[in-house]
Amino acid sequence: MIIHQSPAAQKPERVVLLGARGFIGAAIRKELDAQRIPRLALSSADLNLAEAAAADELAAALRATDAVVMLAALTPDKGRDIPTLMKNLAMMQNTCTAIAKTGCAHMVYFSSDAVYDGAVSRVSEDTPTSPQDLYGAMHHTREIMARSLAGVPVLVLRPTLIYGLDDTHNSYGPNRFRRAAQKGGKITLFGGGEETRDHIHVDDVAALTLRCLLHRSTGTLNAATGTSHSFHEVAEAVSKQFGKTVEIVKTPRANPITHRHYDVANTIKAFPDIRFIPLEDGVARVHREMLEKS
Amino acid sequence: MSDVLVGFAGMTHLGVNSAAAALAHGFSVVGYDADRDVIEALRRGDPPAVEPGLPDVLRRHASRANYTADIADLSRCDLVYIASDVPTDGSGASDLAGIRRLIEGVSGALARGAVVVVLCQVPPGFTRALALPDERLFYQVETLVFGEAVERAMHPERIILGCANPSATLPAALGEFLSAFACPILPMRYESAELAKIAINCCLVSSISVANTLAELCECLGAAWSEIAPALKLDRRIGQHAYLAPGLGIAGGNLERDLATVCKLADAHGTDAGVVRAWIANSRHRRDWALQTLHGAVLSKLEDPVIAVLGLAYKQNTHSTRNSASLALLAHLAPFRVRIFDPVVPATAIPNPRCHAASSELDACEGADALAIMTPWPQFGTLDPVQVARKLRGKLVLDPYAVLNAVACRAAGLEYHTLGFNPDGIRTEK
Repeated sequence: MIIHQSPAAQKPERVVLLGARGFIGAAIRKELDAQRIPRLALSSADLNLAEAAAADELAAALRATDAVVMLAALTPDKGRDIPTLMKNLAMMQNTCTAIAKTGCAHMVYFSSDAVYDGAVSRVSEDTPTSPQDLYGAMHHTREIMARSLAGVPVLVLRPTLIYGLDDTHNSYGPNRFRRAAQKGGKITLFGGGEETRDHIHVDDVAALTLRCLLHRSTGTLNAATGTSHSFHEVAEAVSKQFGKTVEIVKTPRANPITHRHYDVANTIKAFPDIRFIPLEDGVARVHREMLEKS
Repeated sequence: MSDVLVGFAGMTHLGVNSAAAALAHGFSVVGYDADRDVIEALRRGDPPAVEPGLPDVLRRHASRANYTADIADLSRCDLVYIASDVPTDGSGASDLAGIRRLIEGVSGALARGAVVVVLCQVPPGFTRALALPDERLFYQVETLVFGEAVERAMHPERIILGCANPSATLPAALGEFLSAFACPILPMRYESAELAKIAINCCLVSSISVANTLAELCECLGAAWSEIAPALKLDRRIGQHAYLAPGLGIAGGNLERDLATVCKLADAHGTDAGVVRAWIANSRHRRDWALQTLHGAVLSKLEDPVIAVLGLAYKQNTHSTRNSASLALLAHLAPFRVRIFDPVVPATAIPNPRCHAASSELDACEGADALAIMTPWPQFGTLDPVQVARKLRGKLVLDPYAVLNAVACRAAGLEYHTLGFNPDGIRTEK
């Protein structure tokens, strides 16, 4: 459950995006620009948060009236080891040190659904956190670090699987399926693709973030649509976009089937008129953008 | 007629219905409440609770009832029932300060030898800790059911009585009073009786949770819980009267209180209450059924939708809105226009500036994009789906308690949703 500190939507004076050049950061930047909300977009090229000097540099750039959106993190494709964990924690330590020094009006920390046990099939914000790997443990720790900031209203957003044109992670799902279909006309599934997951379009994540910024929301919120699809259904949705036969290949199953569904009641309660892009439409949108880009 | 004079301290829902039962069984009654308005209303024949048959019983036996706001009037009674409300906080924890004050006041007014019976929901250990003589202090389990309170108070299945000494003979006045109910009397230790009340409610919640859990699954599989429940009731291990109707979570306050008490006691003593916490979680989950369904079909699709809501009370035949699923839904519909009708509860109970207090069920439906029937008042069942369809602008009808006829609704072109069945949910196993 989240609480709106500003029940009526109110534009923040300025939004500082940390990790602004990433996939999600770019989408939020676009949303802020569309709403004419002043922003300071910092990427690792501008400020390497992992370095010791970053805390002072960030403190100098921050204003007490800023809303800070912390997206910067080394994702699992950059490493799943202990050094990566420690770098991620250092980034958060420097961010928290800067905020503690300058203060801020609102902080949105981008966590991950990796804080939940992957074996749990139905997840809500009440689901106990139980990270199963260093990446999940990192986000869990960083959540606690954010919440430990005295006097700072903090919202933790835990997105599920995000897809969109500019995703670079290429993890199993819509993005990889699209690239595979484009490249080789073939989508390879684990087993029959029976597992169900909730896939959220990056624009929906950005729109949800904006709503939370406008209301200075605090608490914890999963960023999910509430509708899960099997990977086979996702593959079919992607295949349909190519207008030619894309082969969907099933492989012998190596792991047991697991499912993940989100109870998004808290999101609906917080934003009763919220709407998410249905998977088929989202996949079609990404496909259109891909064609336009090429 | 009996010579035993029975006092009831607290003209609450529990107190007034229990007093009505005593009157109906031929006893004279003193009904005390500190609230003069309540007493004046009772003297006029206007009880403070909505219950079928209650005004009639009180009127018929009015000559043997004395309502008073003066606690000293209880000094004439042979036995006095403590029947105050025990308020709970948001987590269901009881605030016992009020009942303690009342018992203290009653104790000061009692005649020598008079008996005190605690009738309210109290946690185990409460009665024994009271500073009253053991032989004159009892705890009686109440099994009030909102909407059936008079009937249940007059004809209990059994009387569970907490005593200091279960093998001792009951005081004469109490024995005479209880035997008038012509049902088994089960004397037991105070703590056993206090926990028996909680045990009864846990059994009820467990049945409700089974119904809710499997009804939700029915909605995904094309099964119909309404077909399954009667089969369960014919199983003698489950029974005809089992609470197997799916609902929008646990409401009313009393069941939640006992669940909170079990969790608190289990935490204190290190016992396992995981299953009770699961019931609470399931209840919260199912409470959102209407909101989630409305969101999926209307709120996320239409600009500025209008929602008609029938029913505000937490269940039919009561004025109580405690933990009402309807109010919970309406709290989240604040940004939208709503049209509300309840036969008893006024729409002013809803702090929504865009709320229209409708004059009737069909007035509420006028121009609405969706209709949600949130309380199963019997009169809602007489609504003609064709007329509803004519009045509505949209087609969506949420009828969690299946008040309307599903087939007739669908025949009238309505998009009908109820708990425990979804015709679109039919799936075959691959």
